[in-house]
Amino acid sequence: MSIHTDGNAIAGVLEEIFGVEVTATMRVCQSCGQEHAIGAHRLYRGAGLVLRCPNCGDIAAAVATKQDEYRVKLFGTWSEELV
Amino acid sequence: MRVETPQAKTLVLDVPDWPGHLPGQHVDVRLTAEDGYQSERSYSIASAPGTADLELTVERIDDGEVSPWLTEEAQPGDQFELRGPVGGYFVWDATLEGPVLLVAGGSGLVPLMAILRHHENTGSSADLRLLLSARALEDVLYRSELERFRDVVHLTLTREQPPPEWNGWSRRIDADMLRDVGPGADQHPHVYVCGPTPFVEEAARLLVELGHLPAAVHTERFGPSGG
Repeated sequence: MSIHTDGNAIAGVLEEIFGVEVTATMRVCQSCGQEHAIGAHRLYRGAGLVLRCPNCGDIAAAVATKQDEYRVKLFGTWSEELV
Repeated sequence: MRVETPQAKTLVLDVPDWPGHLPGQHVDVRLTAEDGYQSERSYSIASAPGTADLELTVERIDDGEVSPWLTEEAQPGDQFELRGPVGGYFVWDATLEGPVLLVAGGSGLVPLMAILRHHENTGSSADLRLLLSARALEDVLYRSELERFRDVVHLTLTREQPPPEWNGWSRRIDADMLRDVGPGADQHPHVYVCGPTPFVEEAARLLVELGHLPAAVHTERFGPSGG
């Protein structure tokens, strides 16, 4: 079994990147079309952080740290409610 | 600092300008070594919102980078860096209507304890139930406090028989157990499942099979990459 936790574990990093809390943000997967909260996505830690769809496993986000900056790649549709 | 189990301690923190938190949220703890090496891990907040101190219950991971220091070396008066509170998905708000089902595996109880305590502190009338799975009674966090909540707490132990007063089970969680604990899917409870990854995935799968909406089942996984 592969080792993973979930999007909740990087709530702090994501908030640093986006400036808002995004674990409750819903994301529609570009691959299977299912909608899940970012907190429910699987998290894989390696050289960087990779979030994957909890249904099909396709990539949702990749975050790498390069010196003092984050390099972020996002996939699918992220819906942030305006408050 | 309080000893909870042979592996876990609760750290009571005095955080200047703490903005307050919601039950279920966590903080990131960052430790910096003398050579500048930094290590960061997230820990769930155990205390209910509105209480004077911030409490984190930390389970020692033997080859971890942060938990051995927090549980074995940190002394009262020590300072370290915190980021938070963070998280907005795995939280329960006392103003939410509807019943609540909490499902905890081992130290996954920590954020759910914040929910249970908040439920009590706010005098919420929401029907709340907790199913806790642990290996053995000595691994159960907050044991004496949980005894107060015995009418809503259901205990299953995977490696021994629970004491008779708990009227619990001695097996891994399964569909029958979740059905016995309730509330059923027809009552649309807000469900929070927290524990090790395999536990959470199995519990979430069973809950969806029992008819709970996937969106109503909030999950938080603890992994072996933690510590």
